[in-house]
Amino acid sequence: MLKARFVRRLIIAVTFLALGGTCLASVDDAIARATEAISPYVKQGYLVRDDQWGGDLGVKQQQAITHTLFKGNDYWFCTGTDNDSAKISIHVYDNRGRLVENDSWQHGRSAGAHLVAPATGTYYIIVEILSSPVERTHWAMVYGYK
Amino acid sequence: MKMKTRTQLFFVAVTLVCLPHFLAADAPPRQIDLNRFPATKLDDVVVPLPSEVFNVLDKLGTPDWRGEMRSPNISSRGARAQIALMLGSVVAEGFVAVEAADKERVKAIGQDVLELARAIGVEKTVLSRTNAIVTNADDGDWVGVRRELDGALSDVKTAMIQLRDDQLAHLVSLGGWLRGTEVLTSIVGKSYTPDGADLLNQPDLLKYFQERLAGMPPRLRNNQLVGKIQKSLNEISPLISQKITPASIKRIHEITSDMVRAINSNA
Repeated sequence: MLKARFVRRLIIAVTFLALGGTCLASVDDAIARATEAISPYVKQGYLVRDDQWGGDLGVKQQQAITHTLFKGNDYWFCTGTDNDSAKISIHVYDNRGRLVENDSWQHGRSAGAHLVAPATGTYYIIVEILSSPVERTHWAMVYGYK
Repeated sequence: MKMKTRTQLFFVAVTLVCLPHFLAADAPPRQIDLNRFPATKLDDVVVPLPSEVFNVLDKLGTPDWRGEMRSPNISSRGARAQIALMLGSVVAEGFVAVEAADKERVKAIGQDVLELARAIGVEKTVLSRTNAIVTNADDGDWVGVRRELDGALSDVKTAMIQLRDDQLAHLVSLGGWLRGTEVLTSIVGKSYTPDGADLLNQPDLLKYFQERLAGMPPRLRNNQLVGKIQKSLNEISPLISQKITPASIKRIHEITSDMVRAINSNA
């Protein structure tokens, strides 16, 4: 089982390489799905960071990514899984535990959350596997800002 | 016919009753209890890229960016810890030069990044980035320069992690944060607004850097420069954990300026 942590693509890949080629493909698939999910926003002027965060989760398990966001910056966070039949969600909470996103969507194996940061500070981006036919589902998150 | 209409009405009614339930099934809670955090947290916080900070600074009017520019003397570098800090600081300097739209300065910074990367053994990683910085600067493509500066920073850190030098990767991020914070406090301090001061509300990011320094192996923790920075971060911490006043901005600026000077001084 892979412990989720801050990783760049290569680091994820190297870790999974140690676990076998199938896993490597899975992580790449999750990253590809997340990247695909954010691509429409590139056309809207969002700069997409060339880093990914990811890991694996069981059904109904959640992973939080702690991030300092800056007031006035406009963010899209997108996530994807490697499994066609899985459902994943992503939402943004502030440091008081309030749901603060301006908009969100969920389409099967990918999801997105949009936020114009109302204040500078710590936010939690929470990813959840809503359903999946497998015990552990690989996920990846990317984000863009403008 | 009547029967068919009744059946249809029945299904419509059932749908109307059940639809909100199904929609709500995946709806996120409006509020979560942070004391009973529902999710496993990733070990590391996300360190924002310099361009995320400068993106906001763009919206703070038209500061005198040329007045903010510095010329770090990269030949004064010493141990790898200092080079890593300097590398982050120089990348942040690149963003200041972009804001000032100073082509020659940006190109010089591209060369500095390459030289520092060479000194730390990750030159090949950033070569294409630094070439792109120079080309984009020549073309006046400032968005492109920012993208390549961000990319150079990420690539260097990834290369260091691959070389099992995670600690140095943290120092690169820290160097960038220190120079970025020095510039931010200078600009906000010259024209104080609560919105501008709010940009310094980064307690978890600061805590993250403090924890990374505290967790460093003795060979790095005992480095004089690293020790000085650790002490200085401890001094900044209470200043950004409360309402950020003009006085606290002034003090944070003094501390970060002092640290950036130390990074750029002879080892």
